[in-house]
Amino acid sequence: MSDSGLACETGSEHAHRNGEQTHRIELRDVSVRIGSISILHDINAVMRCGEVTAIIGPNGAGKSTLLKAIMGLIPYTGEVRFCAEHQCGAGRPNIGYVPQYLDFDRGTPITVLDFLSLKDQRKPLWLGHKKEMKEAALESLGWAGAAHLISRPLGRLSGGETQRVMLAFALLGTPDIILLDEPVSGVDAAGEEIFAELLRKLQAQRHFTVVLVSHDLSVVTRHADQVICLNKTIHCMGGAIEVLTPENLSRLYGPHVGLHFHPNGVGPDPYA
Amino acid sequence: MLDPIFQIMDSIAPVSWLGPEFMKRAFLALLFIGVACSAMGVLVVNFRMAFFSDAISHSAFTGVAIGILFGVNPMITLVVLGLLVGFGVTRLKEHSDLPTDTIIGVTFSLAVALGIVIISAKRALSRTLEAFLYGNVLAVSDVEVTMMALLLLAVIVFLGLSYNRLFLIGINDSLAQTRGVKVKVYNYIFAAVLALVVTVSIRVVGMLLVTAMLIVPAACARNLARSAGAMFWYSIIVGLISAVAGLALSFKLDTSTGATVILVAGILFILTYPVRMIMERN
Repeated sequence: MSDSGLACETGSEHAHRNGEQTHRIELRDVSVRIGSISILHDINAVMRCGEVTAIIGPNGAGKSTLLKAIMGLIPYTGEVRFCAEHQCGAGRPNIGYVPQYLDFDRGTPITVLDFLSLKDQRKPLWLGHKKEMKEAALESLGWAGAAHLISRPLGRLSGGETQRVMLAFALLGTPDIILLDEPVSGVDAAGEEIFAELLRKLQAQRHFTVVLVSHDLSVVTRHADQVICLNKTIHCMGGAIEVLTPENLSRLYGPHVGLHFHPNGVGPDPYA
Repeated sequence: MLDPIFQIMDSIAPVSWLGPEFMKRAFLALLFIGVACSAMGVLVVNFRMAFFSDAISHSAFTGVAIGILFGVNPMITLVVLGLLVGFGVTRLKEHSDLPTDTIIGVTFSLAVALGIVIISAKRALSRTLEAFLYGNVLAVSDVEVTMMALLLLAVIVFLGLSYNRLFLIGINDSLAQTRGVKVKVYNYIFAAVLALVVTVSIRVVGMLLVTAMLIVPAACARNLARSAGAMFWYSIIVGLISAVAGLALSFKLDTSTGATVILVAGILFILTYPVRMIMERN
């Protein structure tokens, strides 16, 4: 884990500059069972500070479940530790989460500003928005390239717009860690690439730790520092080029399973 | 007890239909309950909990029957049973994989059946029950009006402290959980406050129509509002208009007050519905 220490140090330099802390996530023997069914077992991994870790795997591999365990939303055995600089387990980091779908009643009267205000504002929305909240929301939306959406009704946004608003929601309040669960499932391939680039740019500037569940191997190849292949347990882990080999992929997804590859993708072709 | 307030009412609104004291009490009761119900209704509609509130109001039937049977003030047994049903449904929802409407349906039929069994054994009870079935706001006492004022105060404090969090739970509960919102705790607190509002409102609009008092103003507000704040205020305005206009109309037409209030709210819903259609097209 010496290299993760190095990554943290570059992170902590940044932290000293901006008064922010970046976090490393350590998973030790994490297992999740629902009743008698094992969803995940023996997960041991480190998601390093200030890096993008991509989790890939077939449907039902437990990718979303792993994110939920990291957030503490579901019961698990084993240990999930958050480490800031050289200290582990001291206080919970601020986690920004972008769910796979925002499943909600689209007829609910709520604007994008209302929605973002729900994250941190204590003053009830029927007494209006706090000025600082509006400024923070506008800044976050700006980061996600969605400032123009601030007064739009949330239920009337397109898939791509909703994803940007969800990213802005996750970015509010200077998160230490951002978890994204297939953040682009409602978006076309071009939108997915734009979204990944946006995330990379943000991550480089703000230096948070990113964990990304993705189906798109070309996005993963281009943007992830570390790749974890997951199917109930970890099958391979490491840098994108070394992990995304045809052998690993066919073992993970089964042979001849259709994978998301952009025609112009620069990643390794699993069928080559 | 409420005499000073009645004097103020006489001086600011010297209308004939508000002359008698029972009308003044009814006016105040409708004002408090109208606002409390329409404010809570915003969350009931956004949470899809209309059927839940129906279960609580119908269980009141049994609450009243039990009260009369054992010689306890039926208002007390009614509130207690309402709270029990509210908590019971919330707990079953948490621990069972049955669909929510099935859980509510089972709980509520059980409560109503028990009530009917008690009443059928003691036929003399049925007259008292009628007042709770249809409500009788013209017969509320000073104590009841004061209780309703306190209930309104409690609702305002509750919605002042937790409107945002409840709204976030309503949008997406895992998102709320990632923000550290104790979703389960809020579900129980919400069920308790809703049970209180429903059971106290029964005295005013009756158990058959109490859900309407909760959801019709909020439904009108959903027709009109684009934001979470606006929905709250539109709902209260519709609730107030329905309460005052309904009381005045019922006095003039000599009809049941609770039902007339709901009828006015229903007409407002029909009138506001096209607004939503127009907004959706733009």
